[in-house]
Amino acid sequence: MRPEDLIDALAADAKPVRRLASPMVRLLLWLVLSAGYAALIVWAMGPRPDIQSRLADARFVVELGAVFMTSVLAAAAAFCAGCPGRPVWERFAPLPALALWIGSLGEGCWRSLVQAGAPGLQLQWDVVCFPSILLASIGPGALILMMIRQGAPVAPVATTALAALAAAALGATALRLFHAQDASVMVLVWQFGSVAVLAGLGALTGRRILPWPEAQIATQPAQQSGAGSR
Amino acid sequence: MQAAQAGDKVAYASLLREILPLLRAMVRRTCRDPQDVDDVVQEVLLSLHAVRHTYDPARPFLPWLLTIARRRATDAIRRTSSRSAHETAVDVVPETFSGPEPKIEQDSSDDRAAIEDALAGLTRGQREAVELLKVQGLSLKEAAALTGKSVSALKINVHRALQALRRSLMTKT
Repeated sequence: MRPEDLIDALAADAKPVRRLASPMVRLLLWLVLSAGYAALIVWAMGPRPDIQSRLADARFVVELGAVFMTSVLAAAAAFCAGCPGRPVWERFAPLPALALWIGSLGEGCWRSLVQAGAPGLQLQWDVVCFPSILLASIGPGALILMMIRQGAPVAPVATTALAALAAAALGATALRLFHAQDASVMVLVWQFGSVAVLAGLGALTGRRILPWPEAQIATQPAQQSGAGSR
Repeated sequence: MQAAQAGDKVAYASLLREILPLLRAMVRRTCRDPQDVDDVVQEVLLSLHAVRHTYDPARPFLPWLLTIARRRATDAIRRTSSRSAHETAVDVVPETFSGPEPKIEQDSSDDRAAIEDALAGLTRGQREAVELLKVQGLSLKEAAALTGKSVSALKINVHRALQALRRSLMTKT
């Protein structure tokens, strides 16, 4: 078939399509549903006993805000990445929030080192973090996956990495509200580490998760043109 | 494109015809083999059709089009390159061997009596391995299950048998 014949077949098949909603509309939808899911997880697990005092601590609020903003900006970037022709810089939108999160954890580690010396950076086994983040991010993850599949996979690796980062960071936000772990080095290794692993897994599976959709076209016009040329 | 999203077939056909030279030029710049150009262009057209709902009329059309076209052209060329790394394109399938040595070996292997003589020179184990693996086409595992021999023993037998057959057939020519 020549491209000209294919154009006839595609035009004959051009049914009205429902336009993809703007990234911001989709972000809002995802955020409302995912925040509801995360709140449900926090309620089910039971908020940490010291939540009132922690929310009065500026450092905790900055760190919590940074991880939540990482999630929001990563989700926005994932939705933008599925819209062809949008600027590439949008894919780097979560970097400032991510830097603030790492920076606040780094500052916490430095403070622990100054106050307690090397024992202040002692790492302990905290197996709860990874499964807890996974549990809190599985709902938002499934939802964002479903939503990014509606876009065009022009940057599949970046899109799924950002989507996984969004879901995992939201899971980490929820974890900070029900898991009483404040040692910065522990949060850095176990919580940030879990988020990084999940985002990495998202990147690795990008091409499998986001294949190009097959165009469903009726072949009749092409056959007709082929018969005519004979 | 906005009209095409609403189902206007005439506008859609007209738009696709208008962008066709642009797509051809773009693909021609990236495609090594000119024969592949139309195939890649068709792949780009099918992809455009599949994701036409992602076009936002509030944004310019050309970046949308070129992003999809570049992506799909790159994918198609990568696929073609990876395929051509394992294949050699030929106009006419060759009917004979290129060098004289394999040709002699082929001629001699066509000689039934010579093959029977060569097979007679093999040990029983070697003959059995050749018959099961090369004549009957069994897998190593199947042959091992049938003979009770290990896979490595069968591998050694068949390797030595082929060497002996080659030597025998070469000396007869």
